[in-house]
Amino acid sequence: MAIVLEDVTKIYNPGQPNEVHAVKGVSLRIGKNEVVILKGPSGSGKTSLLSIIGCMSRPTSGRVLVNGRDVAKLPERFLTEIRRQRCGFIFQQFNLLRGITVKENIMLPLYPAGVSLGEIKRRTEEVMDLLQISHRANFRVEQLSGGEQQRVAIARALVNDPEIVLADEPTAHLDTHLSEEFLRMISEIKGAGKTVVIATHDPLVYESSLVDRVIHMRDGIILEEGQ
Amino acid sequence: MKYRRFLILLITESLILLGLLLWGHYRGQTEFVRLTGLKDLVTSLMLTDLSIWTEARYTRHPSQTDLFSAFQDCPGCLEHFPSGSIVSVPPHLRRPEEIP
Amino acid sequence: MRRHLFILEFALSGLCRRRYKNLALLVAYSLLIFIISSILFLTHALKREAELLLQSSPEITVQRLMAGRHALVPVDWVDTIVSIPGVIDASPRYWGYYYDPFTGANFTVLGVRSSEFPLKGREDLDPEDCLIGSGVSETGLLRTGDSLVMVDPEGIARPFRVAGVFSTSSSILTNDLVVLKEETIKRFFQIPEGYAVDLVVRVANPSEIDTIAKKIKEKIPSSRPITRTEILRTYESLFDWRSGMVLSMFIGALLAFFIFAWDKATGLSAEERREIGVLKAIGWDSSDIMEMKFWEGLVLSSLAYLTGTITGFVHVFMLGAPLLESALKGWSVLFPSLKLRPVIEVYQLMVLLFLTVVPYMAATIAPSWKAAMTDPEEVIRS
Repeated sequence: MAIVLEDVTKIYNPGQPNEVHAVKGVSLRIGKNEVVILKGPSGSGKTSLLSIIGCMSRPTSGRVLVNGRDVAKLPERFLTEIRRQRCGFIFQQFNLLRGITVKENIMLPLYPAGVSLGEIKRRTEEVMDLLQISHRANFRVEQLSGGEQQRVAIARALVNDPEIVLADEPTAHLDTHLSEEFLRMISEIKGAGKTVVIATHDPLVYESSLVDRVIHMRDGIILEEGQ
Repeated sequence: MKYRRFLILLITESLILLGLLLWGHYRGQTEFVRLTGLKDLVTSLMLTDLSIWTEARYTRHPSQTDLFSAFQDCPGCLEHFPSGSIVSVPPHLRRPEEIP
Repeated sequence: MRRHLFILEFALSGLCRRRYKNLALLVAYSLLIFIISSILFLTHALKREAELLLQSSPEITVQRLMAGRHALVPVDWVDTIVSIPGVIDASPRYWGYYYDPFTGANFTVLGVRSSEFPLKGREDLDPEDCLIGSGVSETGLLRTGDSLVMVDPEGIARPFRVAGVFSTSSSILTNDLVVLKEETIKRFFQIPEGYAVDLVVRVANPSEIDTIAKKIKEKIPSSRPITRTEILRTYESLFDWRSGMVLSMFIGALLAFFIFAWDKATGLSAEERREIGVLKAIGWDSSDIMEMKFWEGLVLSSLAYLTGTITGFVHVFMLGAPLLESALKGWSVLFPSLKLRPVIEVYQLMVLLFLTVVPYMAATIAPSWKAAMTDPEEVIRS
């Protein structure tokens, strides 16, 4: 999936005293099967940009082309449709739902997709096998270790077989060992032909060899792009 | 799956309710015989009211009370709580113009 | 279809996650429906019972009003009334109330003529005999053969031998009755010769009842005829769910419950907001979130509705409404046993539904609309 951003801006609380210009005229092209890093300090606009790339929010102005089609002006349910079919998210604190099992957490993105129960189970088991968490399937997520929770979060992001995986500060709460583990899994995701976009300021991630491009951001603009 | 368990519970409860309604229907028919016997009693004793509350005339004989007696007990009087609040004012007292 | 089942599945997971809170809500909700359904069933059954029984009550009763009060009726009104075409018969009725100071109960004392003797297998009542209702029998600890003592207007205690007790199955009519012979009651209450308490008029054609009542009023202006239709109408409105108990006693409880439900639905915790955001980010639509909330409400409502209705039915028709009895009874010394004919109409169940489930759904779904509109981006920003 190719995503093209043309002169995208994002303004929060426009016209209010707490108006924030998070993204200021960014143009960007993310190609298929790339691993792209959005790098920058907090408040640099990388999370805003990530959520625009992932169709979670609409830009204030500019165009967002997903496979050549402008989605910036589409109604909400089309954005939902795109998220449901093409995007997988890994959140900073994993954002798993407590109180329900690992399996149910992973199944969640498939519920509104209208696939059969057999298909849901097959795909869930597939990603659980891939991430080696099948033995924890019926555990509640709060009973899991940090590393296992991370695997569940990744499994949930992959269960709908997305074309692009987006991660927001995925290693912020992980130790070095688990961060390396995370990168190993990202390389597997890349190996499966998916596009990966990661917002981070962790050098371990953006200095990794599997990264194709690093986009350095500050104050809502792109400072430089490196390979 | 939990929804199966929920649906089973829902169906079970619905069936119980349905069973109760059927039981009520059946019982209603046998009770009807009892009530027919009671109807003869109403005829022979020339009764006009049910004997439910006995503490005031308007609760014992609500159909026979009038609008005319001064200082009559009124529905809602606290000394006859709660029957006074259960027994509402008879319709012919609510709309005086309808008195025959 | 599958989609809806999965969302229902997740809604159930959600309810199970906050197990104790939702269980408490379910119990409170079921209890509320139990109370309302009990009242509704009881009043409805009483209404139907009255409707059925009082169809046999006299077509017209005629009272006399004097100085704005009930007064004794001159028996010679009978001739005037019988002369009206369509009237089969008119006869005087002798009855009154007696306050029994020993038990603190009010009895209804009723006189009968030998020809109308109500107890099968018995031809007549002796002048010193009485028949009593089961309520009188219980409060006065009286059995057949015992003496019921009543004090007459001159202060003289007069014993009456209990010749029989009405069975409890008739207690809704006879609970507080003391039936005496007509001559006995006239003597006991010292009703002057030539007077009766009221008159009972029998009419051949039911469609003429109103006309005849009007004619009686014209011929005897101080009379007050009460037709059977009016009696039935009185009972129709007497046990109306819109009146009395439901309104005065439970509207408060109802409101408190809905405020509680509303508060629970609107006061979404930060945790719940975050979860909704997560769901939206991973591909749930606002409508899916709403549907989940709808299922949550529907699951709770349907279970509470069924549980409440079933327990209400069992309570009223199988157990004789013991919990309501004390509330209904109040200060009554005599109270009939509530063995009622189990009649429920779909209408009752619908009223119950509209009184409880619909407002609950409205109170809980409406505010979740706002939560469903949460921008998924908020999750990654928090």
